[in-house]
Amino acid sequence: MLDSETVHAGVPVALSTAQTEDTFTLAKYESTVTDRSSYLGPDSNENLREAIARYYDIEHIAEYFTHNKSFRNITLQFPDKLIQDSSTVTQLLQDKLVIQDKDTKSAKRNIWVLADTAYSPCCVDEVASEHVNADIVIHFGDACLNAIKSQPVLYCFGRPYLDFDELSQGFKKTYSDEMAKVCLMADAPHSECIGKLYEILRNDGYENLLYAVVDEKSSSSNCTILQSDQHQASHSNKLISLQNRAIYSSNKELKTIDEANLQENYDLFHITVPADPHLLFLTTKFKTVSLYDTETSSVKQGPYPSLMKRYKFMHVARTAGCIGILVNTLSLKNTKETINTLVKHIRDSGKKHYLFVVGKPNVAKLANFEPVDIWCILGCGQGGIILDQHNEFYKPIITPYELTLALKPEVTWTGQWVVDFDAVLDEIEQENTQMNVAFEDSTNLSKAEAKDLSGDLQNEGAPDFDAVTGKYISTSRPLRKLKHLELDYPAMGSRELTKNVAGGVIIKGTVSTSAAHLQSREWTGLGSDYSSQDGYDESGAAVEEGISGVASGYEFDRTNKPKSR
Amino acid sequence: MVAFTVDQMRSLMDKVTNVRNMSVIAHVDHGKSTLTDSLVQKAGIISAAKAGEARFMDTRKDEQERGITIKSTAISLFAEINDEDVKDIKQKSDGNSFLINLIDSPGHVDFSSEVTAALRVTDGALVVVDTVEGVCVQTETVLRQALGERIKPVVVINKVDRALLELQVTKEDLYQSFSRTVESVNVIISTYADEVLGDVQVYPSQGTVAFGSGLHGWAFTIRQFANRYGKKFGVDKSKMMERLWGDSYFNPKTKKWTNKETDASGKPLERAFNMFVLDPIFRLFAAIMNFKKDEIPVLLEKLEINLKGDEKELEGKALLKVVMKKFLPAADALLEMIVMHLPSPVTAQNYRAEQLYEGPSDDPFCLAIKKCDPNADLMLYVSKMVPTSDKGRFYAFGRVFAGTVKSGQKVRIQGPNYVPGKKDDLFLKAIQRVVLMMGSRTEPIDDCPAGNIVGLVGVDQFLLKTGTLTTNEAAHNMKVMKFSVSPVVQVAVEVKNANDLPKLVEGLKRLSKSDPCVLTYMSESGEHIVAGTGELHLEICLQDLENDHAGIPLKISPPVVAYRETVEGESSQVALSKSPNKHNRIYLKAEPIDEEVSLAIENGKINPRDDFKARARIMADEFNWDVTDARKIWCFGPDGNGPNLVVDQTKAVQYLHEIKDSVVAAFQWATKEGPIFGEQMRSVRVNILDVTLHADAIHRGGGQIIPTMRRATYAGFLLAEPKIQEPVFLVEIQCPEQAVGGIYSVLNKKRGQVVSEEQRPGTPLFTVKAYLPVNESFGFTGELRQATGGQAFPQMVFDHWATLGSDPLDPTTKAGEIVLAARKRHGMKEEVPGWQEYYDKL
Repeated sequence: MLDSETVHAGVPVALSTAQTEDTFTLAKYESTVTDRSSYLGPDSNENLREAIARYYDIEHIAEYFTHNKSFRNITLQFPDKLIQDSSTVTQLLQDKLVIQDKDTKSAKRNIWVLADTAYSPCCVDEVASEHVNADIVIHFGDACLNAIKSQPVLYCFGRPYLDFDELSQGFKKTYSDEMAKVCLMADAPHSECIGKLYEILRNDGYENLLYAVVDEKSSSSNCTILQSDQHQASHSNKLISLQNRAIYSSNKELKTIDEANLQENYDLFHITVPADPHLLFLTTKFKTVSLYDTETSSVKQGPYPSLMKRYKFMHVARTAGCIGILVNTLSLKNTKETINTLVKHIRDSGKKHYLFVVGKPNVAKLANFEPVDIWCILGCGQGGIILDQHNEFYKPIITPYELTLALKPEVTWTGQWVVDFDAVLDEIEQENTQMNVAFEDSTNLSKAEAKDLSGDLQNEGAPDFDAVTGKYISTSRPLRKLKHLELDYPAMGSRELTKNVAGGVIIKGTVSTSAAHLQSREWTGLGSDYSSQDGYDESGAAVEEGISGVASGYEFDRTNKPKSR
Repeated sequence: MVAFTVDQMRSLMDKVTNVRNMSVIAHVDHGKSTLTDSLVQKAGIISAAKAGEARFMDTRKDEQERGITIKSTAISLFAEINDEDVKDIKQKSDGNSFLINLIDSPGHVDFSSEVTAALRVTDGALVVVDTVEGVCVQTETVLRQALGERIKPVVVINKVDRALLELQVTKEDLYQSFSRTVESVNVIISTYADEVLGDVQVYPSQGTVAFGSGLHGWAFTIRQFANRYGKKFGVDKSKMMERLWGDSYFNPKTKKWTNKETDASGKPLERAFNMFVLDPIFRLFAAIMNFKKDEIPVLLEKLEINLKGDEKELEGKALLKVVMKKFLPAADALLEMIVMHLPSPVTAQNYRAEQLYEGPSDDPFCLAIKKCDPNADLMLYVSKMVPTSDKGRFYAFGRVFAGTVKSGQKVRIQGPNYVPGKKDDLFLKAIQRVVLMMGSRTEPIDDCPAGNIVGLVGVDQFLLKTGTLTTNEAAHNMKVMKFSVSPVVQVAVEVKNANDLPKLVEGLKRLSKSDPCVLTYMSESGEHIVAGTGELHLEICLQDLENDHAGIPLKISPPVVAYRETVEGESSQVALSKSPNKHNRIYLKAEPIDEEVSLAIENGKINPRDDFKARARIMADEFNWDVTDARKIWCFGPDGNGPNLVVDQTKAVQYLHEIKDSVVAAFQWATKEGPIFGEQMRSVRVNILDVTLHADAIHRGGGQIIPTMRRATYAGFLLAEPKIQEPVFLVEIQCPEQAVGGIYSVLNKKRGQVVSEEQRPGTPLFTVKAYLPVNESFGFTGELRQATGGQAFPQMVFDHWATLGSDPLDPTTKAGEIVLAARKRHGMKEEVPGWQEYYDKL
């Protein structure tokens, strides 16, 4: 999970997870006057239960269950920020459901709270809910609406409090020109306020505005979105879909708009600060991006994650010998296919890979795997991808799409931020067909080409040029054709575990970059540090026979005894 | 017309005692390439008429156009010396035919790295000095480099015709000017010469100094005149040579030699050099240039110069050229000097071996180099890559130091990161072809024995710039060259058309290969950077990149400067960082390293690859380091060889060595990207004072230690008066007196600092030397030209890193402004994080 607090703190926090000292001290009731005013409104503390009921739309949820009586095991998933409300919500919900259940004779409904989301909080934690055989997951807070495999989901974004005066002030300060072409957008919870803001600003004379609401069509069939009564005035016409958002305008002349136009002419005004990967996505889609932070009621403009840095990481991946595939989701559709295709693709390019599943990855966890040259993270595009903004991570982290670009024989860069697994699979598919065509061509070898091939043999094993450091890297393809490594495996019965060959270390017939890394370490076990010390003797100390016997009578005691007596 | 065949040359290569490998080095425009032409002419490759104009060695179009040499070019020449001269050679030789492998190198300071690459493969250097301009900044730089590589110099004082024709000096003035030049060359030599080389100062009386004019194709050494007069006076040649230089006078009345400048009656005597050497030349000049038709034939007859039919019709300068060329052919004088006084590979490798080889000086490979043994295991150093006509392919240019390299031979190609026993940067490949480099042409040969310079085909794709080729797996690398210049000027390049990206990357690779010094890399923010030593160097590189290597239109950013981050004091308190799991703590302090030590690390005197005990000895003896500290240096950084150090000062810490690898990795990372604005650190020493570690190995792994050590380093760094360093050029400007004022005003405006200003005696020229921050040097040449009416041309060479006094963390200061601008450019948060960000409370 990408911990949003860490990232937004804006400074390199070494302890990159939220595991600060106070995480471990038990919360005391006196000290936890949690401030909920940022999303429940300023005077929510007086009547907390009601405010929470209103925010989570308990009424509607209960109503949903009157129509769907078959769901008996219900799991509630909260993001870390809202977990403090979980007990209240559960209680409220139980109260409502008990009333419903009175009339029916069906079994009691069970409610679970999924407390610790291992991966991105915007995604549905399917695995966790399967642990309790849940029939349905109610997902609270901001959501990416990404398709998941099987379970029914009820999305409840919440109804956050928003000060429209402040908001429109902030907007006007940012865009003083009334003709400015701006698209209004918000995270899922705030999206229902967009329509109202749009009206306010239109009345104030802003003419060229667009607004984006959650695109219900983007979610899959087994999902239901509560509060689908969002602003969808009939006089607005839908222009374009952007991931899980649909962009509307009430301007009758504007029938449709393409991405290029959006990118060239439109600024984005986003309510709430999105997670880094999503922010990066937005910056690639709009001319400029301004963020309205609802907690401080202020407008921020950069610095944003930069795509150029991704370009650099792509180059790092080109010469990386060992790639760590970091699975940061389990529920996203196509995860398995993507892993398998990626693994095959990596091997075909002669690189070594290792597969990792790490819950809540952080600097320390990833730095433990030193032989890994670059990480490829599979995660949700909204919040499940780590963008290392402050160079905290020991080795860079890239997305599967960037990895496929890097594995191409020629340097390619599309300047796009693609997080969709399907796009990655397509890309690799395309690549493979191209390769096949090339291969078929080369089977019809003429003599001249045969000569070329011998030239290839000469070039075999040539190092790759690393554009990042400007040096030749000889270790970028540890798995490249082994036959040229003059391999001979250790004979059966040999006690040798590893075998050193030109270009790598072999364990059980496979090249192991991590074994090679271990061998390159200076510390090779106890005693290996003595050689650098003064008076070090290669042969070590001589073994001398000491005294023998037991404490009551050593050997020399016994030999001495008779004399004394 | 080629006067010799490849076969002839090949057979000469076996007689290593008769081989001379030499480079021609000098300040820009002192006439190296022109002088080289006269040698090439002697070897018969280009027609005699064109010598002096053809610039045979400038093989590139832009070299010919600009009239400067950019790349060094090699050529093999064949020379025959008469038997009498052979007897005078003080080293072993065999027969009277000699093979000279000559490398002409660029004189412009921006291309010094080419000179370095040339020097590595040669044993002797022909130092060319302009009579009028004298010893200049680049003369000193290249001479220093040559001596550092243990290369023996001989000197040619060139452009004597200018002194005679333009300045109209008297004989005595000319003598004084010569002797001053010789003296200043000797001052440099005695300052930088290695004791091992013995006395390598140059003496006209020993024939190690020649005088001449490359343009007119004539030159002489005192030895030649001594030959002529020795017979006439019946004096021994060597005695005569001594008499023809210095305070030695001949009294024509008494026919006696004396060292007093007056005769018995107090009448001034003429210096022997002036009387016997300069007088005939002056007279010829006077007669021909003043069109004294009647005098000329008499003189010619006296000097035994025979003119052919149409040559007799010539007048003025043209006649002068012909006559002088016949009288004192430049090639004769130079070849004689080269053959007689420069060492053969056998002689030179004997004292150069231990300096060339990275491994122990008593292993068989070092001994083979010492003996220049053609039958030993191959030891070949590739010093640079020379582009072939085939785009993207290169000849690997280098020298065989031991063994014999053959076409088709299977060799071990060892890149600069190769360590014996490891597999990094090591390739086993066959050499496709061995060639001789002849200016712009190559001639294939079957094999090449030790002591010779060759080109290799089929090696280029395994080496970026340099490397070692060997046949034995126990052999260490040859030492990597250290450049006196540093690529401190950089630009970002970008393709105009996104589809051209692959070509750009390929182009950057080729550019990187083709130039010994240029760096291409990617900045923090993902831009492609090309870094060169100066504006001219960058201009040439970018031109090559755009037109040749990449062949695509490029967007090029304005030049920026590479900075360094450093500290000025010791950390004001112990920096402490805790590992993410809170179970490990690192306590350290940062402090500055003395500039001398940093320089010694940068130029390889203190080498991370050396045995730590030997290194500690040097550091203790020469740099006043505590011996225990010096022995406990854990690592150099960044890239394992930079001028930043980690010193272990802990006492009795259990498991300490177990975390060494993690600490080293973290330090490389931290020094590569400093906390102020992501530039490399320089001159920072980190003393680890104490470490507490978790007892369980799993809790003190890399994941816990690497981030922690990096944070601790940053905290210690920021607590130790952090500063930034900027690169500073040494600027040398020669100009007439009236332009000096203009120079000063431009220098003042650009934060320049004048070091010295002196008039060159006997000329109206002033030499101003000044320090100029590289950051201010952009457009300096243009402004200078404007302020002085085009009379002043600067030569700028990287000199040192200067610490900016102001606080880089305060954005209102000069340093702070630079930091702020860079942070903005790299998309970093504008404010530099304070030490508190990296410091953990106990």
